Amino acid sequence: MAFPLLSLIVFVPAAGAAVVMLLRSDDAVRWAALGFTLLDLGLAIAMLAGFDTGISGMQFVEKRVWVPALGISFALGVDGISALFVFLTTLLGWISVLASWTAIDSKVKLFMVSLLAMQALMLGVFSALDLFLFYVCWEAMLIPMYLIIGVWGGGGRVYAAFKFFLYTLAGSLLFLIGVIVLYFEGGRTFDIPALMALDLPFEVQSWLFFAFLVAFAVKVPMVPLHTWLPDAHVQAPTAGSIILAGVLLKMGAYGFLRFSLPMLPEASVYYSTLMMALSALAIVYGGLLALAQDDLKKLVAYSSISHMGFVTLGIFALNPLGLKGSILQMFNHGVTTGALFLFVGLIYERTHTRSIADYGGLMKVAPVYTGFLALFVLSSMALPGTNAFVGELLVLSGGFAANLTLGAAAVLGALLSAAYLLGMYRKVALGPSSVGARFKVRDVNGREMAAILPLAIFVLWVGLYPKPFLAIIDNSVTHLLQQVHDRGDGQ
Amino acid sequence: MTAAVLLSSLLASLPEIIVITGACILLIAGQFVPKGQEAVLVWASVAVVLLAALVTFTLSGGAQPAYAGMFVADPFSVFFKSVFYLAVILTFLLSRKYTDIEGIGGSEYYVLLLLALAGMMIMASATDLLSIYVGLELMVLCTYVLTGFLRREQRSNEAALKYVILGAISTGIFLYGISLIYGLTGTTRLDGMAAAVTGDPLDPGLLLAVVFIVAGLVFKIGAVPFHMWVPDVYEGAPTTITAFMSVGPKAASFAVILRVFLNPLVAGSNVWIILAVIAVVTMALGSFVALVQDNFKRLLAYSSIAHAGFAIFGIVAGGADGVASVMLYLLIYTFMNLGIFGAVIMMRNGNFSGEVIEDYAGFAKLHPGLALLMLLYLFSLAGIPPTAGFFAKFYVLVALVERGFVLLAVIAVLLSAVAAYFYIRVVMVMFMREPERVFEPALTPLVAAALAVTAAGTVGIGLFPAWFLRLAQQSAFGG
Repeated sequence: MAFPLLSLIVFVPAAGAAVVMLLRSDDAVRWAALGFTLLDLGLAIAMLAGFDTGISGMQFVEKRVWVPALGISFALGVDGISALFVFLTTLLGWISVLASWTAIDSKVKLFMVSLLAMQALMLGVFSALDLFLFYVCWEAMLIPMYLIIGVWGGGGRVYAAFKFFLYTLAGSLLFLIGVIVLYFEGGRTFDIPALMALDLPFEVQSWLFFAFLVAFAVKVPMVPLHTWLPDAHVQAPTAGSIILAGVLLKMGAYGFLRFSLPMLPEASVYYSTLMMALSALAIVYGGLLALAQDDLKKLVAYSSISHMGFVTLGIFALNPLGLKGSILQMFNHGVTTGALFLFVGLIYERTHTRSIADYGGLMKVAPVYTGFLALFVLSSMALPGTNAFVGELLVLSGGFAANLTLGAAAVLGALLSAAYLLGMYRKVALGPSSVGARFKVRDVNGREMAAILPLAIFVLWVGLYPKPFLAIIDNSVTHLLQQVHDRGDGQ
Repeated sequence: MTAAVLLSSLLASLPEIIVITGACILLIAGQFVPKGQEAVLVWASVAVVLLAALVTFTLSGGAQPAYAGMFVADPFSVFFKSVFYLAVILTFLLSRKYTDIEGIGGSEYYVLLLLALAGMMIMASATDLLSIYVGLELMVLCTYVLTGFLRREQRSNEAALKYVILGAISTGIFLYGISLIYGLTGTTRLDGMAAAVTGDPLDPGLLLAVVFIVAGLVFKIGAVPFHMWVPDVYEGAPTTITAFMSVGPKAASFAVILRVFLNPLVAGSNVWIILAVIAVVTMALGSFVALVQDNFKRLLAYSSIAHAGFAIFGIVAGGADGVASVMLYLLIYTFMNLGIFGAVIMMRNGNFSGEVIEDYAGFAKLHPGLALLMLLYLFSLAGIPPTAGFFAKFYVLVALVERGFVLLAVIAVLLSAVAAYFYIRVVMVMFMREPERVFEPALTPLVAAALAVTAAGTVGIGLFPAWFLRLAQQSAFGG
């Protein structure tokens, strides 16, 4: 067996959580958490460097027996789809620690332990090649996330944490039944590659498709299962929002890519129009809701619903453009929305208000802050030259190819996003300086820059030269589509 | 009966003999223990249990029938006895300080627990309705007394009285079922029952007998519609006894239920339909009523009703996996439930009862380590991975789906989502509220040891279930 790089990536944050638990001073806790997440980021970069873009299957595969009596193993591996998310998770993990450096001042140790545990579990989800292992990581994330929202969140945090917990739990439990049914259909195995090769009757596929859909749609979240998201986002501390938007929302879409499409191809093809319609609804509805918000964080939260609609639209377009675009767009959304939440958090730390009406003329007092904010706002509305442009263009091309009407509806969403984002930026950054008069706002410091800069680099890098990113996902997407269409088009 | 047969019978039941003898010696010797030296009693009781455990493991080879087929020492009973030993030893460890605080630390307390243990062990090994009855009565009589051990507290007396009366009725029903079976088949031996039925296995008389036996047994595990005693008895009894009752006697009753219900006669009478209904209603009632409880002990009482419902699903599934899933569930439940009760017992200090959920407000701020421990038990009870509680539920669901009961599995998981709500409500109170009063838990080294063992079990089985799963599968019967 080769060097267990993926295990290392998964277990470094877990070990970090254990180490942090032993430390006494808050500062030592912060530095240790930063060290472990940085180490993990380094390992993820090493993984990407060693990633062979010519292979469509799983790489860095590891497999150890876990519960032999039930055919459960501890199996890890990444393909082009998951490799990008492993990297994104470690990147945002590091940034989350930076973002909570001063924002979290009570129970710092428990917070960092939760954050590191969260990271280990998210990495487990993206690299699991065993369905049981996947489910354990997927579900276990509820514990740290519940604490992150509920302990360090805003005023309505308890309600928001409950809602998040119960929505996700109820969805995942149906998924669990689906997993067990799949286990028996597959001849008592949880091995993901083996399950992908299954050829199930359409009837069974349909049932499983909807059992999975509930779990994944809650996580994405798709309209009408989205109502937990604004609550959770608004109440969560900055790091919690970054992780929620940056990584957690991707898991639903990742579930579609990893399970629904290859394991249930006929059902995926059959229900693709329905899924695209739901996605278009989410794009427009989320955009309209974002347009009506006065709370900065709520605005970004609703924009997430809209943007994730593009992702699911691209997935269920079931063509290369749409699929590649949606995977890239998931990465982009992680970077851009993660950054936007970071910016909301930074300004909230200084002014303790999130109401857009309280701001104005921020550019005069904090030019660096507003300058970078402009970049991420433009990226979020998919201006050419930024990362989201590439992703959205691909998704829309794929969407139009699959369904003209729904593609057109999605374009409406792109227009809406320009409206609410530019409106927000104008009210916050431009105009006469009313912020300077009311609050003492200092510009970003070095530590905050360290969190902002990498995200800014990725916005421009993907925007101007997306080729290396597309190269990673290219082969895996082709392979996935082949799997879907070979077996799914019989319908 | 020749001397050799008698000797082998005695050998097969040696663990029971050790426990009963030990209890008798302790009963007499305990009178001479001077005040303030009660720790000796704890260690003597633990030693008795450990000795019995040692002998039990030497008997774990194959099935050794004894006493003319009324008793058997087989891997199935060894598994359950191990669960009982674990439960009772942890109860001893948790009791030391608590009994001092409550002023109930006489030797009778330990003797009664040991005798209850003996009753449970007989139940696990019994293969005849009469020996089951003897074990059952020995066990419940001891728990009746222990429930009323807080002599000065009205609530404890009331609970004991309620328990005795309702328990006696259920025993009567059970006995009536046995006599019907004997009248119709001419035997009370489990293996002889099915063979003795000559006519239609769905004979109304037999059905009635089965229903009576079901009713008698279901009472002991606190399943609906015989659950009414559970909240009151759990609340009124000393917390250590509540902890013990929620795992030990419950596991023993499940052992009997497994043996009786998977008997060909009972299995042939479509009893699983009754059981499925009982399981669904039990889980639903336990989960929904727990939502509105303010008293932690009552909450845990309803939680234990809900868990009993979930475990019954394993019996409904039947087969080797079904049996093994119930066994594993009970083992895991012992760890996590004794853990959470251990935490509640620890709270009882000075004028602090630790029974009101609101009392735990801000607990995480005052005692972060203990709060994390409670968080672990609570999430495990809710069935969230990677804790053992998840694996327990998972395996039951696997057994259900294997038998094609997908709809039941869906109902089970949806009801456990409801149940999760009240566990995380306690977490919320501990972690997300500001402390209202400062208190010092009675964390003695013994309590700490008990909490460490339960935590190790809750985490360990969750992360490395393979060994325990194999143990349960090898100890299960049926197929």
